[in-house]
Amino acid sequence: MSKKIWASMSILLILAMVLTACASATPAPTEEPASVATEAPVATEVPVATEEPTAVPTEEPAPTEAVVEPEATLRIWADDTRTPILLDLADEFLAEYNVALVVEDLGRVQDIRAQVIIAVPAGEGPDIYLGVHDWLGALVESGLVAPIDLGDKQDEFVESALEAFTYTDGQLYGVPYDTENLGFFYNTELVTEVPTTWDEVLEVGRALKAEGKATYAIAIAGDPGYNSLPMQTAFGGYVFGKNEAGAWNPDDVGLDSEGMVEAVDWMVKAVDEGLMPDTTDYETGHQLFETGEIPFLMAGPWALDRIRASGVPYAVTSFPDNGAPFLGVQGFMVNPLSENVLLAQAFLTEYVATEELMQTLYETGLRPSAFKSVLATTEDPDLKAMGEAGASAIPMPNIPEMGSVWSAWNNGITLALTKQQTPAESMADAAQQVRDLIKGALAGMVNLPGSYQTKAGCGADWDPACEATAMTEGDDGKFTLTAQIPAGEYEFKVALDGDWKVNYGSDGALDGPNYALSLAADSTVTFVYDPETHLVEVTTE
Amino acid sequence: MASSASTNIPQKPASSTNPALPRLVRLALLVIIDAAIIWFLNRLVTLGYYPLAAVFLVILLFVNVVLLRQEAYPLRWMIVGLVLMTLFVIYPILFTVWVAFTNYGEGHLITQEQAVDQILQAKYLPETGKAYSWTAYKSPDGSYALWLKDAEGSTFLALPGEPLSQPQPGEAGIGELDDKGIPKTIEGYQRLNAIVAATDKNLTQILFGEEGTTIQVRSPSEAAELLPLYVFDAEADAMINQQTGVVYSNIRGSFTSPTGQQLRPGFIASVQLQNFKDFFVSPALRGPMVRIVTWNFAFAFFSLLLNFSLGLLIAIVYNEPGFPFKKLIRSLLIIPYTVPALITILIWRSMLNPELGVIDRALENMFGWAPPWFTDQLWAKVAILIVNLWLSYPYFMLICSGALQSISEDYYAAAQVDGASPWQQFWNITLPLLLVAVGPLLVASFTFNFNNFNLIYLFNAGGPPIAGTPTPAGHTDILISYVYNLAFSGSRGVNYGFASAITIVIFFIVGTITLFQFRYTRMWEEVSENV
Repeated sequence: MSKKIWASMSILLILAMVLTACASATPAPTEEPASVATEAPVATEVPVATEEPTAVPTEEPAPTEAVVEPEATLRIWADDTRTPILLDLADEFLAEYNVALVVEDLGRVQDIRAQVIIAVPAGEGPDIYLGVHDWLGALVESGLVAPIDLGDKQDEFVESALEAFTYTDGQLYGVPYDTENLGFFYNTELVTEVPTTWDEVLEVGRALKAEGKATYAIAIAGDPGYNSLPMQTAFGGYVFGKNEAGAWNPDDVGLDSEGMVEAVDWMVKAVDEGLMPDTTDYETGHQLFETGEIPFLMAGPWALDRIRASGVPYAVTSFPDNGAPFLGVQGFMVNPLSENVLLAQAFLTEYVATEELMQTLYETGLRPSAFKSVLATTEDPDLKAMGEAGASAIPMPNIPEMGSVWSAWNNGITLALTKQQTPAESMADAAQQVRDLIKGALAGMVNLPGSYQTKAGCGADWDPACEATAMTEGDDGKFTLTAQIPAGEYEFKVALDGDWKVNYGSDGALDGPNYALSLAADSTVTFVYDPETHLVEVTTE
Repeated sequence: MASSASTNIPQKPASSTNPALPRLVRLALLVIIDAAIIWFLNRLVTLGYYPLAAVFLVILLFVNVVLLRQEAYPLRWMIVGLVLMTLFVIYPILFTVWVAFTNYGEGHLITQEQAVDQILQAKYLPETGKAYSWTAYKSPDGSYALWLKDAEGSTFLALPGEPLSQPQPGEAGIGELDDKGIPKTIEGYQRLNAIVAATDKNLTQILFGEEGTTIQVRSPSEAAELLPLYVFDAEADAMINQQTGVVYSNIRGSFTSPTGQQLRPGFIASVQLQNFKDFFVSPALRGPMVRIVTWNFAFAFFSLLLNFSLGLLIAIVYNEPGFPFKKLIRSLLIIPYTVPALITILIWRSMLNPELGVIDRALENMFGWAPPWFTDQLWAKVAILIVNLWLSYPYFMLICSGALQSISEDYYAAAQVDGASPWQQFWNITLPLLLVAVGPLLVASFTFNFNNFNLIYLFNAGGPPIAGTPTPAGHTDILISYVYNLAFSGSRGVNYGFASAITIVIFFIVGTITLFQFRYTRMWEEVSENV
């Protein structure tokens, strides 16, 4: 019985295979070109089809006319406001260059990132996608965005926008189209003279409160880190410093800098005096301003619609004390795993980076443009003012370490505002949390990376995070490592925290020269590291 | 499917008398199913999804064995369920376990193959190399010519395999120059716009000029004498920089130089137990674990206690015959259960808002004080429990009402004869009999609340923050919300490997609790005895 079953089963399987072979035989030869050709020659809006590339319309080209098959297809992922604009280009682009544009609407710009992270590595990403510049850290490190060379067009873009899309390697990774930053809103009915310092802001609020016209002077609306940055920077606070080359320096965390603590202290005093609520809820802040209960608010262009709709008399201006908000820049990015990288880049530099299209993008987006000539002719007074407030804005750091900052930063300010810690304590804790998160799980590790490591049980040489050569701390505060090393010539160095960022050479100096280790015979080597002098003593047996 | 064919002929007492027809139908069906699966398998293998292909292979064998072997007959009724469970439960679990041992996450999202391809595309311009702006010309037979212009403004004509030349207009078929100094025509070629030229995927691969100093198109604005920057040494699993000679060896998913420079991008690589070690050993990631776990248990326990007590109370009250408007009130009480939790949580959030919320404003007006629901740790916890009570009591009300009706009236009659008070009746009859029926649901509810991420995250995202912790954490953070912050917004963006590792740890915690509860309450045995 059992034999019979297996026999019939194998016959069945063969039958089935024949069946599938027949089925796949016909499309097989045409498969390669078909993947391009069947992607509708006319641009079609495809509602979120991220998982399956086959969801792109597969209709055969209309047989009635002798339609020339498009030379190539460019797939673009855009948000709901920009999709129609890009779709409008499609017919013209197809006629002119014989390249089909397929624009897919992914909802909000913020939602595109998560899709990119999944679809691009799977080889199903678009050729071009929209995004925000502070994704660069993750995208560049993961190899999901290709550099772009704007050539002569570079001069036509706002410098801070280009700076935002430039990664630490000095390369540009996006074609920016608009920028956004907080602006300083004030109620024109309550405020007659625009304050030029933060103390004056409180002054105005104090007077209004005494008259019973206002509940508070100002409120922080939203996560306190980002939304009170203009206050922090006015006192000299910062998040990350920059190195000599002008790139963000993740080792210089400024959350506990003097200016930052001073700024938070100022906020706490404002809360104590009842001039600022201790909650930093987005909705609360906006409602207070929209109902005329507070004369000042820091808000971004995303809130313009609701503030206009509320009917509150308002105007936008630059921040007191030259306070600087963060600048966020949106732009087009190119997928490096796409087959059409050069075409995508050419499309962006030749076709998108034009005044006409940038003007259209500005008109629908309601954000200050990143294109100089469009920005210069901006008529909307609010956006103009916001653009001016943004002139001094700091591009949001685009390094991956910024991801470690947000919650610690927000928590630090919240803890101070709610009186659970003093500003100095809470910001020192926050800065320490950020430093630890940046160091990662290996914070505290002392290691001796070198050319001997593979022989001592590591997967590779020169690995500062290899567990097998991590040193252990003794009671005397010195670190030791004992290893069996075969005869040979070796080099090594001291590295802290499982990383090369802090490493000491044979002279005990940062980034100093390698130690040399020469073993005539296989030996047991004991290394002792003194954290005071940063020197290593080697004894061999 | 196969058996439905046999039931189509109900006159025949059993398929044994005339098995030929249903058998054939069954086999035909099987062939179709096999064909579909094999076709799918084929697709998966070509796309390179080997693990999923392996799962489909297992499914294929399973389906065939079950449909062909008589001993496996009972399994036929479950075949669809088992296949779906393999695909949507077991496979994802195995995948999670695999991810837990890798560094899959931002910075390590693509495969090594993809990363190597990308790194090998990097080119460099040697010190003596020159860069030009370019215009492409294409001949009808598909070959290209480039008109190059260097930084000083001199122009060149470049053809594949031939030395650069500097023809003037009129020579060598060069036509008139336009206002940018680029010939409008070249004999035998057609001038291409940058976009049209870029539609040819191979353009960047063509080497122009003579051997030794070949020129390649690098970007829409630049062509240069480029050389590949890296060479991949597959044996040593290392990248070698051609310009500097530095060797970048593969260390946990990044090509790393001896001085610690890493080539971008990184790729997915195995990190063995590193993710688990990070969670248990690293002080930077472990955070205020004891505190979070304590609150996690307290939250799950008090939620269960409060929700069950209120649900039971209401059920008992409305179980009383002759209660006026019973049906109406009962329907109204179910409403919180029918509104999506997402909406309810957000509504509560705004009702408890200290500045604008209805509840806080009302309390403020009546007593001159309202609890700081979002800034004080105790009140934040109370608020969480209140919202959870609102969300869950209708569920317990429903199941208790059902269970109460199944308790025989005879017990109460007997108890009354014995002179038991209503209180005694409740403790000795109602509760024990009720618990038999709803006990497993209580365990399920505890487990659910133990991982009730939605509530915590939507209500206050774990706030208010705890002061002085090594990693950011909040007083109402439960394990899953704390871990979510660590793995998805903590350090370097999304870290799937770490998230999977912690998920597995949480699975074991919850699994142990559940097992213990089932053992302790002897739930399975009791239930089966009663059924």
